[in-house]
Amino acid sequence: MIRGTVLGQVWATRRARGLEGQKLVLVAACDAAGAATGRVVVAIDTLDARGGEDVTVAFGSGARNVLRPGADNRDLLCDAAVAAIVEGAG
Amino acid sequence: MFLGRVTGTVWSTVKWPETRGLKLLLVRPYRLGDLAPGAPAVPGAEPSLPSDDLVVCADTLDAGPGDDVLVAFGHAARVAVSEKLPPGSKPNVPIDAAVVAVVDRVEI
Repeated sequence: MIRGTVLGQVWATRRARGLEGQKLVLVAACDAAGAATGRVVVAIDTLDARGGEDVTVAFGSGARNVLRPGADNRDLLCDAAVAAIVEGAG
Repeated sequence: MFLGRVTGTVWSTVKWPETRGLKLLLVRPYRLGDLAPGAPAVPGAEPSLPSDDLVVCADTLDAGPGDDVLVAFGHAARVAVSEKLPPGSKPNVPIDAAVVAVVDRVEI
């Protein structure tokens, strides 16, 4: 997982089947000090994260488990998802 | 997933048979500095460089050079291209990046 700050939302009409209806947020990855590293990722957001909020983003099967926990979720088109909205880090 | 700009295409004749017919695109990932040009002197917010790695990804949405796209990695990429592949080959193709959306707008 990474920690990052939500920059905003991505809008796309033409999507692969399996991605329809998902809210997509743009997240700037943070380093240990909480500063932006320059890397930007896009994640599926089911937690209604807003611009400026700090979040954690899970990748791979961890991201699929955000959408539908369990072993039968390999049909999902999801490789990155907002896993938590961060309130503090130290 | 990441956001990137399609910069070109790649073609090949010698490849895994089940991936024949799949279009391959070259995509340059956006960095923070590309999204907010001239933005604050945030360390790490420099724009991408010509020397940055490009990503080769399979395309099923008919994107082309100049389009902004979302690219998924790993198993999600194989899920995205699975409809274009011969039946029975789905989980096994050597694809690990695919265009999953053509971006209309980024709201920051």
